Amino acid sequence: MVDTDDAAVVERCLAGDHNAYEAIVTRYQKGLFNVALRMLGNYEDARDATQTAFIKAYEHLDSFDREQRFFNWLFRILKNECLNVLRGRRPSEPVSPGLQAGNGADPVEARERHQAVQEALMALSVEYREVVVLRHFTDLSYDEIAATLGIPAKTVKSRLYTARQQLGDRLVEWQVAR
Amino acid sequence: MNPFDDNRANDNDDLTELLNELPEVDPPATIVPTVMSTIAGSARAVTTPRVTTFRRGSTMAKKVLWSLAGAAAVALVALRVVGYPPVKEGTEATIGAAQRYQAPQVAAADVKVEDQQFQDFLQSDLFRELVNDKAAQDAVQNPDLQKALADANVRAVLANNEARLAVANNARYLVRADARRDAIAQLKLDAKLRAALEAALEASPALVAAISQANVADALAKSSLARVLARPDAALAISNNAVLQVMRQASANARNDAAVNASANAATNARIK
Repeated sequence: MVDTDDAAVVERCLAGDHNAYEAIVTRYQKGLFNVALRMLGNYEDARDATQTAFIKAYEHLDSFDREQRFFNWLFRILKNECLNVLRGRRPSEPVSPGLQAGNGADPVEARERHQAVQEALMALSVEYREVVVLRHFTDLSYDEIAATLGIPAKTVKSRLYTARQQLGDRLVEWQVAR
Repeated sequence: MNPFDDNRANDNDDLTELLNELPEVDPPATIVPTVMSTIAGSARAVTTPRVTTFRRGSTMAKKVLWSLAGAAAVALVALRVVGYPPVKEGTEATIGAAQRYQAPQVAAADVKVEDQQFQDFLQSDLFRELVNDKAAQDAVQNPDLQKALADANVRAVLANNEARLAVANNARYLVRADARRDAIAQLKLDAKLRAALEAALEASPALVAAISQANVADALAKSSLARVLARPDAALAISNNAVLQVMRQASANARNDAAVNASANAATNARIK
């Protein structure tokens, strides 16, 4: 799938108009940042990974296959950045307190619930976490998730099934307590 | 939820609701200015060809390039070992006298600066300029500034000439948490840059500590440090410990060289008289 707006911006950047890239960053920063946030569970790490992904994408724009969807390509770069962060992270690093905020009838309970969900996400392996994040925090279809991750759609579905089983086991008390 | 059903309208189980309840978080305001200032300062153009081609259009394989580079390195080492070029007789005393005053050079084995980007910086005119600028050296060796420059957002803000000048000229207000917001609001910067500056100051106590020192704040605007900070790659280099170590030694050598030259000039003048 080719997004003609993105393709036009890429052409302008490759022609030397680097200011055109701002449209790409503005368009995708929220989606990419939230994906990074759920993948990493830390606000600062997500910010840095998102910034680095945008910068690396710009530096390698000439290798972007314009038959692909730009977000898919950008996501793969972001995923590598997230993996770099996770590899360098200490095992016991806590979930960022900034992620716990939320609205609800009981803000304290909502915060605790959100923290529990984020911790359950972080307990998944990266392969399982990424399918859950792409399914629930982006509007990608299964086929698009498959294209983004470079795996068959059937694998996306089976990973999502297992990931949700594991999440369900960890969050069982929250599902009945709500 | 049935994970084999692609229709989200059917996702109505408890687990899906728990996941959907996680709030969508607004991205930090610094992302756009940081990315845009970094790519603006990037020396690499996206259109730069990545391969070397010859007349017949063949592509030079990377391994051939590496082989040539390796052969050149071996040749240089061999020449160094056999003592080429030969030193002419009669120069030994002059060279020996000068060497007595020189601090030992930093050997490659002493400091390892492995990142090519940092190596490029060490070979640049900008590095030589920085080494010979006393005010810039004093600021660069400031631990707070080093810590602040390790943060990509701080580098991005200080890469902008207007923002850097604004910080240098208004440091005494910007370091005060109670006056910062008003001071930033009055700066003649565009809204994104003001937001990025405010975010950088909020997130980096090291930056606040650095600019609270007058010599650092002054150097941001006046010395060769300003030209270094204008390039995010160079700014990153001066937050690297190995680069700083090389710089300290090079700066000491430069001061020694200057002392030797002054001494030699004084001796020459005395003989002329």
